[in-house]
Amino acid sequence: MTGTIHSLWTTAADSATPLDKIPTPKIEYAQLSPVLIVFGAAVLGILVEALLPRRSRYIAQLGVSVTGLAAAFAAIVALAADGYASAKSHIAAMGAVAVDGPALFLQGTIVLVALVAAFTFAERRLDPLAHGRRVDSFAAQGSTVPGSEQEKRAVRAGFTTTEVFPLLLFAVGGMMIFPAANDLLTLFVSLEVFSLPLYLLCALARRHRLLSQEAAVKYFLLGAFSSAILLFGVALLYGYAGTISYGGIADVISGTAKMTPALANTTANDSLLLIGGAMVVVGLLFKVAAVPFHMWTPDVYQGAPTPVTGFMAAATKVAAFGALLRLLYVVLPGIRWDWRPVMWGVAIATMVIGAIIAVTQTDVKRLLAYSSIAHAGFILAGVIALSPDGVSSVLFYLAAYSFVTLGAFAVVTLVRDAGGEATHLSRWAGLGRRSPLVAAVFAVFLLAFAGIPLTSGFAGKFAVFKAAAQGGAVPLVIIGVISSAIAAFFYIRVIVLMFFSEPQPGGPSVAVPSALTSTAIAAGVAVTLALGVAPQYFLDLAGKASVFVR
Amino acid sequence: MDHLIGALIGAPLLGAGILLVGGRRLDRVGHWIGCLLAAVSFGIGAALFADMLGKPTDQRTLTSHLYSWVPVGGFRADVAFQLDQLSMTFVLLITGVGTLIHIYSIGYMAHDENRRRFFGYLNLFLAAMLLLVLADNYLLLYVGWEGVGLASYLLIGFWQHKPSAATAAKKAFIVNRVGDMGLSIAIMVLFTTYGTFSFGPVFAHATGASQAKLTVIGLLLLLGACGKSAQVPLQSWLGDAMEGPTPVSALIHAATMVTAGVYLVTRSGAIFNAAPTAQLAVCVVGAVTLMFGAIVGCAKDDIKKALAGSTMSQIGYMMLAAGLGPIGYVFAIMHLVTHGFFKAGLFLGAGSVMHGMNDEVDMRKYGGLRRYMPITYVTFGLGYLAIIGFPGLSGYWSKDKIIEAAFAKGGTEGWILGGVALLGAGITAYYMTRVMVLTFFGEERWEPAPDPDKTPGVEPGIEVHPGELPHPHESPRSMTIPMVILAFGSVFAGGLFSINSAFLKWLEPVTGHSEGHSPVSTWEVTAATLVVLVVGGALAWAQYGRRPVPVTAPRGSLVTRAARRDLLQDDFNHIVLVRGGEHLTRSLVYLDHSLVDGAVNGTAASVGGLSARLRQVQNGYVRSYAVSMLGGTAVLVAATLLMRAV
Amino acid sequence: MHLAYPAVLAVLLFCVGLYGVLARRNAILVLMSVELMLNAVNLNLVAFDVWLRDTLHAGQALTLFTITVAAAEIGIGLAIVLLVYRNRGTSDVDKLTDLADTGTLPDSGSASIAPATDNPADTAAEQALRAREQTA
Repeated sequence: MTGTIHSLWTTAADSATPLDKIPTPKIEYAQLSPVLIVFGAAVLGILVEALLPRRSRYIAQLGVSVTGLAAAFAAIVALAADGYASAKSHIAAMGAVAVDGPALFLQGTIVLVALVAAFTFAERRLDPLAHGRRVDSFAAQGSTVPGSEQEKRAVRAGFTTTEVFPLLLFAVGGMMIFPAANDLLTLFVSLEVFSLPLYLLCALARRHRLLSQEAAVKYFLLGAFSSAILLFGVALLYGYAGTISYGGIADVISGTAKMTPALANTTANDSLLLIGGAMVVVGLLFKVAAVPFHMWTPDVYQGAPTPVTGFMAAATKVAAFGALLRLLYVVLPGIRWDWRPVMWGVAIATMVIGAIIAVTQTDVKRLLAYSSIAHAGFILAGVIALSPDGVSSVLFYLAAYSFVTLGAFAVVTLVRDAGGEATHLSRWAGLGRRSPLVAAVFAVFLLAFAGIPLTSGFAGKFAVFKAAAQGGAVPLVIIGVISSAIAAFFYIRVIVLMFFSEPQPGGPSVAVPSALTSTAIAAGVAVTLALGVAPQYFLDLAGKASVFVR
Repeated sequence: MDHLIGALIGAPLLGAGILLVGGRRLDRVGHWIGCLLAAVSFGIGAALFADMLGKPTDQRTLTSHLYSWVPVGGFRADVAFQLDQLSMTFVLLITGVGTLIHIYSIGYMAHDENRRRFFGYLNLFLAAMLLLVLADNYLLLYVGWEGVGLASYLLIGFWQHKPSAATAAKKAFIVNRVGDMGLSIAIMVLFTTYGTFSFGPVFAHATGASQAKLTVIGLLLLLGACGKSAQVPLQSWLGDAMEGPTPVSALIHAATMVTAGVYLVTRSGAIFNAAPTAQLAVCVVGAVTLMFGAIVGCAKDDIKKALAGSTMSQIGYMMLAAGLGPIGYVFAIMHLVTHGFFKAGLFLGAGSVMHGMNDEVDMRKYGGLRRYMPITYVTFGLGYLAIIGFPGLSGYWSKDKIIEAAFAKGGTEGWILGGVALLGAGITAYYMTRVMVLTFFGEERWEPAPDPDKTPGVEPGIEVHPGELPHPHESPRSMTIPMVILAFGSVFAGGLFSINSAFLKWLEPVTGHSEGHSPVSTWEVTAATLVVLVVGGALAWAQYGRRPVPVTAPRGSLVTRAARRDLLQDDFNHIVLVRGGEHLTRSLVYLDHSLVDGAVNGTAASVGGLSARLRQVQNGYVRSYAVSMLGGTAVLVAATLLMRAV
Repeated sequence: MHLAYPAVLAVLLFCVGLYGVLARRNAILVLMSVELMLNAVNLNLVAFDVWLRDTLHAGQALTLFTITVAAAEIGIGLAIVLLVYRNRGTSDVDKLTDLADTGTLPDSGSASIAPATDNPADTAAEQALRAREQTA
């Protein structure tokens, strides 16, 4: 078993040795360039907000975001091509940020997801014109009370919340560091850096503002609560190991670290390690929406503006699973006999409960939220495998899942009636008769969620379950397959509803989107089918990127 | 060169894609695109053929691996092609005859508003058929097999506004499903036996499996072959399939698709050689179908259905030959190729006659047409001489060899099979002479055209003037040229193949060949064949040529009436299969409702109930969510600690 | 001083914070309780730092970051709570139950909650809702 664990690591080119004096930090700017570009773009976005006239902000913000994200992706590809994903894996910024295969793969996924999400953020064709101006999904002015004089004035003046773009970029930057964080401090800071903008984004819906704000309050309170728990775990781990770097903690756990008498005293107490580890894992499980830390998901997904929901559902999951993988594979493999059974339980509960509650949902966004919970369970099954195959299958699954989710939520923004998006499932009846193309595209996404062959969902599920079974978790796989079957039931039900029931009179209409949302949906379909029809290339890519640096 | 194999299939596939996706915009040029890509495919085929001829015999097989289709653990299926002499023969036949029929269709479908779609389907058919013969494994072959079935379904039902065409398409599809089921099970058994789908390894280890398994595989493959090739007991769809446009009948239901079964049996020769029981079954099926088709062909008054009966019978010959093993494979394929020429020519001739006769299909209402459509008369006549095996023409060379090989099987079996084949040759002469005489000779028995409103069975696009006598005329150039080319093939192909045993030497490396020991000598067989030929032809002449033919068919004997109804095949199917099936379904539905649904609904209900109960937790109170998180954390921490304790 | 004293004190503080999050209905007080939890962590970190004589003083550095992040967090939290208060006239978290599985959720197709504000009919519905909230 030790052998298989060790093959997950390569030793960093220059392993940091404890020093008596704090040296001048050495920052490898080139290796951190993807993150720096995104943060730079975000800061630029703030400047745009401060300096440019209101009319030109929208175009400028969209330009800055898209350029920044594209440049970041180019930087990631360049790093990967340079060998940082394999041979030259490295820990940059004095041991704070890892630059290795999983980090680059996940950062690439996050950036691409954010790029597509930026398109849905910028969509301005769906809502009817407000005083002759095109408007997006976000409130004219976030601080005004709906229905008040100020709000009316803001709408008449054509205000729009273009701040969402810098917020998006800050969140993306945080998410990019999160799976690459190589010490507990970076982990915590990046967690907050991506969470705080998301709280705000949740509150900014143009329609159903009260629901949107309620979602933000819930997300914020529970998020803060979970990060307090995580932070307490961090403190305990620090107390146990005397260091916050991942490699250092792992050394202490395996007993290879240099001991001081004081350290020996705390290290003797394993409960510090176990409790601390468990609490940090809880903080991450909250972000991936695993049962029983999932309860914010449906409420927040439903209340948040749909483009934000799509981004949050896709990118947060990618970032949080990345961090969870690194924590479990790099820091805590030494106590895997302690956490594996517990994670088994969490995975099973997540798969089963997510799938079961979804069965009786009547709202599309809530349905997708529960489906995302069930999917978190499937991905956890791959995480538990604790093998290179486990890593690569989880990476693949995350890439596949994030695009399906993004596409599905983008479709949800199209189906509208007088009150905005018509998310109640009864309103979707007969959609296939009225708008066959939109219904067909949504059906593709649902089939991918259900894991039907020739979609990315099948390839992902197959890879994850295979890794889990090889890791000895056959019962887990059986339960996973059963809950997949339950889950397939409600996906298929929606398809049946769309295609085989009579359209309601006065039902919702399907808005014709601009090229932005069309591109987003097309990207979702393309990735779904590409990863479904020819998964091998991407599986190989994920396989090559599955070695953590330590 | 091996990359060209993909292009071979790609060209018509591209055409199908362009034509079917392109929409109405392409209506004006669609048929040219279709023809062009079919011709391109033929060109590539010819280039590959030339290349192949230039190589030594043992290096003629080309393989081309495109990509791994489903690589899952030990399960491996590739998209890979194999082009050997057998495939090459088919490629040339398919693309050659296919291109001619594309050209013919330009004229034939000139007035059809859906001509573009028609050419799209034709191209799709070509691509699927090429995939079928070029696949290097059974799974890919199956893809082509199903693609061919789909194209055939679409083309038979092309005039779907005619209820008869829609029904015929459905019938063809359903009957084919039975065969396809056999093939798919055969492929599964193959995989479990040999652990691979690829032809190479399977045939190399063919004898390694147990006799029982080999027999099962062989019989299942035969079932698949019966479906596609319209062999007894799955032959009933072919006659009805003539509801499709005539070029379709010529291309799919005479020259190419129906030969897929013969290809399958020949390709799987290694398996059949190792399973004598299955091989005998192939022979029996072939012999029975041979007689069956011939008898049906004698009784039909519809010119296309008579030709369909003849097709069935001729394919029976091929099956019979393929069932003989190495003695017969080469002759089966040779007959297949010559048959492709003359039967396609005959069908195109029939289409030409219908074109000139207001779309009348009843031969009793033809007569004396030789004066009005000379080119059709001559080409049809040459096809007729070829199919009955007139000495020197194509059919003579291939059919005589099959009869001879049947005798050469030896023993009682040999005598019976040879006798049947010989008798079949006589009946062939009878019914083909009948067709010939009724159509082109005798007095003119034309009738006014039917009113299209009352009779829905009229092919659209052909100008019909209700109440007027037809004005038979020669067909346009685009239709006659393919007929002339095919007539050349009907006359010379067999002879060319037989010079110096060229065809035998060409195919032998793939199929193997052994000379049987015939109890009768070659000249005896030839003489006997000529005798039955003359007798059959003379009988038909005496019956139809020398006496006036009644326009309404006489009641006829019991056998004639049965033969008109396809020897009661449909009635048998209806009583035994449909009724029986209905009873089975009804009882299964009952079981399903009471047992299975009960269990399923019970599960669904309990999941639903559980779901409704679990939902209650999601009450919207953020503090209760926090409690559950705290509880979860406590449980997680406690469980982690507990793991250490135990 | 033995490590146990500050550690136990930190745990007690943390639990007080926990209790506050679970028991308080006013969102501001919930926020304060979360702050309390974070401060318990800070105490813990500093105590460990001193106890372990960490040459890098990672614990203290982490504490500084925590304080900063907590400040940012409370800023955003207060903004959101304020927004809710201005819309609903209450900061009682137990009033925020429109998003739930258990039924109070209005049919989202009926547009009764916070519709586009430039539509007079929707505005009326909006105000009716707020009136309901305030009287409740």
